[in-house]
Amino acid sequence: MTAILSPARPSDALPPLARPAVPPAGHAPGAVPDPAVKADIRNVRFFYKKFEAIKNISLPLYDRRVTAFIGPSGCGKSTLLRMLNRIYTLYPEQRAEGEILIDGRNALAADYDINLLRAKVGMVFQKPTPFPMSIYDNIAFGIRLYEKPPAAELDVRVEEALQRAALWNEVKDKLRQSGLGLSGGQQQRLCIARAIALRPEILLLDEPASALDPISTSKIEDLIHELRSDYCIAIVTHNMQQAARTADYTAFMYLGELVEYDETATIFTKPGKKQTEDYVTGRFG
Amino acid sequence: MTGIAASSGFEARIGYWARSQKRYDTAFRLGTALFALLVLVLLGGVIVALVDGAAPALAKFKLGFLVTEEWNPVTDEFGALAPIYGTLVTSAIAMLIAVPISFGIALFITELCPPWLKRPIGTAIELLAGIPSIIYGIWGLFVLAPLLQETAQPLLIESLGSLPGVGFLFAGPPLGIGVFTAGLILAIMVLPFIASVMRDVFEAVPALLKESAYGLGATTWEVVWSVVLPYTRSGMMGGIMLGLGRALGETMAVTFVIGNAHRIHASLFAPGTTISAALANEFAEATTDIYLSSLVALGLILFLITFSVLVLAKLMLQRLQRGLGT
Amino acid sequence: MTRYQRRKLANQVALGLSLAATVCGLAWLAAILITLLTQGLSALTADLFTQMTPPPGSRGGLLNAIYGSFIMTALATLIGTPVGILAGTYLAEYSRGSRLAEVIRFINDILLSAPSIIVGLFVYEIVVVRVGHFSGWAGALALAIIVVPVVVRTTEDMLRLVPDSLREAAAALGAPKWRAVVQISYRAALQGIVTGIMLAVARISGETAPLLFTALNNQFWSTDLNAPMANLPVVIFQFALSPYSDWQSLAWGGALLITFVILTLNIGARVIASWSTVKR
Repeated sequence: MTAILSPARPSDALPPLARPAVPPAGHAPGAVPDPAVKADIRNVRFFYKKFEAIKNISLPLYDRRVTAFIGPSGCGKSTLLRMLNRIYTLYPEQRAEGEILIDGRNALAADYDINLLRAKVGMVFQKPTPFPMSIYDNIAFGIRLYEKPPAAELDVRVEEALQRAALWNEVKDKLRQSGLGLSGGQQQRLCIARAIALRPEILLLDEPASALDPISTSKIEDLIHELRSDYCIAIVTHNMQQAARTADYTAFMYLGELVEYDETATIFTKPGKKQTEDYVTGRFG
Repeated sequence: MTGIAASSGFEARIGYWARSQKRYDTAFRLGTALFALLVLVLLGGVIVALVDGAAPALAKFKLGFLVTEEWNPVTDEFGALAPIYGTLVTSAIAMLIAVPISFGIALFITELCPPWLKRPIGTAIELLAGIPSIIYGIWGLFVLAPLLQETAQPLLIESLGSLPGVGFLFAGPPLGIGVFTAGLILAIMVLPFIASVMRDVFEAVPALLKESAYGLGATTWEVVWSVVLPYTRSGMMGGIMLGLGRALGETMAVTFVIGNAHRIHASLFAPGTTISAALANEFAEATTDIYLSSLVALGLILFLITFSVLVLAKLMLQRLQRGLGT
Repeated sequence: MTRYQRRKLANQVALGLSLAATVCGLAWLAAILITLLTQGLSALTADLFTQMTPPPGSRGGLLNAIYGSFIMTALATLIGTPVGILAGTYLAEYSRGSRLAEVIRFINDILLSAPSIIVGLFVYEIVVVRVGHFSGWAGALALAIIVVPVVVRTTEDMLRLVPDSLREAAAALGAPKWRAVVQISYRAALQGIVTGIMLAVARISGETAPLLFTALNNQFWSTDLNAPMANLPVVIFQFALSPYSDWQSLAWGGALLITFVILTLNIGARVIASWSTVKR
């Protein structure tokens, strides 16, 4: 089924390990019956200078599903996420190999316009990164990059994004105030709103709640749940409960390799590998 | 939210945009690079312009220019020895006075000063650095020189003037203006530069290092002398060289008080000149081409001296940074 | 005296001397300011701001010199600041690990402390000699050359303080680099860059040496930038060294004025810089 829905997917080029046999049907009642592959990560490697941080990883990211990446620090999970929008190209000493097919086109190829890629693949970072400008301008910055909507339409787009990020009610009276004045949790939701204002198709969340308090964290998790119905979401997290709560699929990485990838329930209840089991039960890492 | 950026439409809509952004990006990058290169061009331009302007004088006087004391606009005979001597001696006096005082100030700010006083004192010292040299000059001429003439100079002449060996340095009448006064004014001028570099350097010493010395029961002074100083030696030297670079090239403060005489006197109280003072005083009056060219040649010499000193200063400060980095 | 007492004494002597050094440093500042106030205040009359520089023996003011200084400082800032900001941007944003940038940074630091009279000579050689006469433009250019390294340095330093996470966040939205720099990095570093510009203005508004052979001086009211132009520092220089007491008095008035402007700029720059640290 999946293969038919996304013709770009080369179903047998990948090691069997990397694919759950059947996508979880009962996981999201009422949603699209079967998920399509949105981004197909194929044999990617990553280098910081000579150091190989990612060693030949392949796995799919499904549309309208949440995929979590877990593993001890330095396992390469953030690095893998940073390949998906090629943010690593800011640093000349970093380099990637392999293919990431997004809707069938290789995003790592030099001729894939990097700015368009990033418009399509939004990202939220570990620490909130509000720009030093007003709340309104923070959201409008991204929109104005690509289009020049009339003021009224821009207002609508900004409100829509803030609504989506569940921040509107808290900031609607102070849109012109600096984004730096918000609390940490609000700043992070502002960053999410900023990312979705561009109407991306894939959303990358790099430990989005690790710098936040528990209440803000649960708000962010609720939000991820909300957004799941519209986006392909990839989330890196240190917190295994978070992965279990938010993700449909979970990938466990260790030392730059993908140890196991499967439905979240499987990873946490009957993992296929000893290493995974040790990690999710807290015996190491 | 059904229409999340329908792929093909989205890309078609902004494909043109993306291409034009790429052009802007390249233009901005090249533009900034161009202006960065301009910094190099500036330095190159200075060297070329000075060499070009100095060429006639250097061609005429050859290396003798460097060792001739005579400076005679009437006969068009020019030698740079007196201004070079003046430049070096005033700077040497300035460093002798400014280095210990700067060290004391840096020590006070980093080790002794109560925290609430740190900022005001630091700011005051930096304001001293902001006062333009012409103010030092006018103050030196009208306040410091008369003061020295009445007090310090007679005292020094009486006490040190008759000492064998060094007496000649302090001989002659107390004129107020002269090489010594110029050196003193320079000391006041460069003091804040040296002090603030030294302060930064002292503050770069890892607290752990100092604490372990204090932990052995060392006094503040012992910690500074045997831990901070050795650790920061190259940074301190860098700061001193930076101050020296300033002192060598300083113009206005010196011009006011040095007396402007193209002579080399043994006594520090006699009038003299420096390269920059000679330039400031005589440039507008230079009537012949060779006179003008000789002045530019003086400028070239000054440039070469300060350039080498500043390069040394930078290298020493960099060495400190690298040492701290590891 | 025990060894311990000796050590303690040495410590006290050293610390006492360091206190004395600090007092001495501050005393200079106080002495200079007091002299400026006592000598300069009496010269600060309405005439100073409304009359031209007089011939010896008659009354006058510094209006033409104030105007000339203002114009040349403003022009120099207008020319030097964009150059400095763009060059500093290259060093901070576009030259990670590049050898060339290291060389440029090094040379810029040298230019930062190079004697200003050399800059005057340089502009004399390339402008005054070619054009054949002194001019306000030449003066402004000389001052601009002094502005550039100051602004390059502060711009680079301040842009380096902008965290990479902000750059990543802008890039992650698909912002092209130039927009990220102009709209995010510049905005984040704004206070710092403004501080740098103010310090540069403070530096050039008192510079005398580079104007001696470029703008020269002009006894009369002149707005022609192609002609020699009056300016405060050179007038102070000339008047202070003159034997006429009314000229000397004007020189003190000008000196007080310049010092006041420069200290205000310096303190203002510090205040602005402190705002930005409060916000971060």
